[in-house]
Amino acid sequence: MNFMGENLFYRKFDNGLKAFVLPKKNFNKVYAVYSTRYGSIDNEFVVPTTGERLKVPEGIAHFLEHKMFEMPYGNVFDKYAELGTSSNAYTNYTNTTYLFSTTSTFEESMRLLLEFVETPYFTKESVEKEKGIITQELRMYEDDPEWQVMLNLLKALYHRHPVRDDIGGTVESIQNIDVYTLYKCYETFYHPSNMVIFVAGAVDADKVFEIIEERENKRGKLSQGEIKRIYPEEPYTVNKPRIDVKLSVSRPLFLMGFKDRDVGYDGIKLLRKEIVTNILLEVIFGKSSLTYEKLYEEGLIDDRFSFGYEGQKEYGFCTIGGETKDPEKLKDILVNSIKEAKEGGLKEGDFERVKKKYLGDYIQGFNSLEFIANSFVSYYHRNVNIFDYPEVLRRITFEEAKRRLNEFFDFDRMAISTVYPK
Amino acid sequence: MNRLFQRKTLDNGINLYICSTDKFKTVTVCAFIHQNLDKSTATKTALLPFVLKRGSLNFPSSRYISLYLEELYGADFGADIIKKGERQIIQFFIEMVNPRYTASQNKILDEGLMLFKDIILNPLTEGHAFKKDFVEQEKDVLKRNIEALFNDKFNYAIERCFQEMCKGEPFSVYKYGSVSDLPEIKSEDLYDFYKIVIKSRPMDIFVLGEVDEGQIYEKLNNLFSNERREEKIAGTVVVKEVEREKFVEEKQDVNQGKLSLGFRTGTRYGDEDFYALMVFNSIFGGGPHSKLFQNVREKEGLAYYAFSRLEKSKGLMLASCGIDFDNLEKTIDIVKKQVDDIKEGRISDYEFESSKKYLVNSLKEAEDSPAMIISLYLDGIINGIEESIQEIIEKIQTVTKEDVVKVAQKVKLDTIYFLNKR
Repeated sequence: MNFMGENLFYRKFDNGLKAFVLPKKNFNKVYAVYSTRYGSIDNEFVVPTTGERLKVPEGIAHFLEHKMFEMPYGNVFDKYAELGTSSNAYTNYTNTTYLFSTTSTFEESMRLLLEFVETPYFTKESVEKEKGIITQELRMYEDDPEWQVMLNLLKALYHRHPVRDDIGGTVESIQNIDVYTLYKCYETFYHPSNMVIFVAGAVDADKVFEIIEERENKRGKLSQGEIKRIYPEEPYTVNKPRIDVKLSVSRPLFLMGFKDRDVGYDGIKLLRKEIVTNILLEVIFGKSSLTYEKLYEEGLIDDRFSFGYEGQKEYGFCTIGGETKDPEKLKDILVNSIKEAKEGGLKEGDFERVKKKYLGDYIQGFNSLEFIANSFVSYYHRNVNIFDYPEVLRRITFEEAKRRLNEFFDFDRMAISTVYPK
Repeated sequence: MNRLFQRKTLDNGINLYICSTDKFKTVTVCAFIHQNLDKSTATKTALLPFVLKRGSLNFPSSRYISLYLEELYGADFGADIIKKGERQIIQFFIEMVNPRYTASQNKILDEGLMLFKDIILNPLTEGHAFKKDFVEQEKDVLKRNIEALFNDKFNYAIERCFQEMCKGEPFSVYKYGSVSDLPEIKSEDLYDFYKIVIKSRPMDIFVLGEVDEGQIYEKLNNLFSNERREEKIAGTVVVKEVEREKFVEEKQDVNQGKLSLGFRTGTRYGDEDFYALMVFNSIFGGGPHSKLFQNVREKEGLAYYAFSRLEKSKGLMLASCGIDFDNLEKTIDIVKKQVDDIKEGRISDYEFESSKKYLVNSLKEAEDSPAMIISLYLDGIINGIEESIQEIIEKIQTVTKEDVVKVAQKVKLDTIYFLNKR
């Protein structure tokens, strides 16, 4: 596949693992990710090997991510440091991703990535020590008002779905994590058929495939049935119309969200829905909108005002907001501008211009290997190929946008979260 | 790509640095206007980029600018303040998609540059003053920006440590100045101040992307033909001695204690032993291989983050970590011990080699990012040297353990700052 002078190579290995390579020859760096479709929302599931149904503590996917860096011989960070490679990992609602970037020791770094992600090694002692480190990580987020306002918005939007829980869990929930449960989660979700590798940068695709094949073929053909993930039944309604808290901040924070009821699918259809929704948000609230101009001039928002749509198979929501002197007034203006758009205020010229901007933003993204790799896996886990983006964007029609506007921005499915100064 | 940037001088004395490369999908243009960091002018200087980007003669509002940028395939444009040493730098940037990747003609670059120039040189005025509404609104935005630091406890604890440490020195001035200066700033005075700044302060323009050097020189020479009379500006003062170690504690409603330790290194970028200091910092707290990460986090489980960083131009180093309130003394002892260990030569081969490799890797990675390439080159210019990233790497490669121990002798702890709970 060729796009903007970029070629994407693909290989599927016998045990079900898939790998993609995007060579960028004039870059110094190689950025590689190894990602599993397993995130903080996968809290209840059936273990494929035993058939047992398991409910695990909140925050365990993130905890497991931390502990994967532990090996029988010590810490993986140390090995990467010896190679002069930087490595890291992140966990979000739906996936866990391990990564490295290197400019000189790609082959060794790649072998090490495969080795450590494929080697679970947990001891009671190291699990206990990790609880201290993660407690400090959670405490750090407790002092982060932007994170808190977001968490509370999700708690307002969702009754039961685990997207309402903090990705890292709570200081209390992580105390219940033990070696046994970590192994169960690993066995279930770190199966080759549930994972993907993406490598971008100064590499040769064949070399990458050769390194992966060498190791994967030794692991044998592990077959595993479909992973059964159990999510609680989530009503279409919002849980609460609003949540307000007080924290040590200089000025109030405001976040408004809409809960999507058009869920239950992924693939191109999901990508299309996501792009349409983002275009709508941009047209109504973006920097070129009359609403933004008014809010800015009245001192209700500044450059940090933001919005976005998060679409997954199981759930979808948008967020709109930022720091403001007057959350109530901001809310009224935002709500009004949605009403005006619905009542015929949406202009086709604005829609076309924003489409142009989105194409440019997408092309700009290709400057960054991190952006390419992280978006690729994030979409891959939703059965979307990110390289289809320009074509899907091109096909979106104004009529479609108008339809989505009326369906999605339903005030009965709106919730609000605020943080006020103490 | 050895020297990287071609240096030219426009007819009016503005320095132009051009790097023609097809590595990136965009063309990036940055302008930097240098000003001494000084309490008496810092707030006025900080206001300038924010007022200017609100609108110009030919692009009279933010909304107008945004509409124009969206038509240019979502070109990124911005203006802000950066602080490097005791210099306060006004920064403007525009990043445009290389026209080759869009259906448009070669107009993106010309149209982008036209906006860029208009914002910097043709402000929107009312009589002999900036447009009053812009000034009043941006005074309010700047006030909020200054106060927003309070919400960001991570950076707050770092900034406060520097402030306490450098009390009485220009470096203690915040990059956005001070809220108390704002009420007395009038639109007329600010405009007069702008005219002085634009006429007499050193200015650098960077261009990075697929451009023709001769053509871009001509374009910019025609656009930036304002009359100038450049004045030299003062350098940064490096304080080497510490009279007495300070301890400053501040109490807020927080869930995690934030500890910062400020050091005087006695070495700045431009000094021969600066490269040894870079290795020193890498060993001490520059990544997961470092003594801070290994001891504070991995061994003792006291923190989630623990790192150190250098302020290149002022000769400072700052270490920071987020800890439980009860672990203050224990953590300080561990941090101090790491510095002492390096001073006494207790550096393992693993630590030394990993630290150098880590530095080299991150510098090579920087070469893959337009913003990083420009920022590193600017650091050099400020400190009187022009060197490519490759040259920096070569100098780091020659650093020995003895060099590190030697440069470590000059490192002195100045201030310990702790953000505690109420």
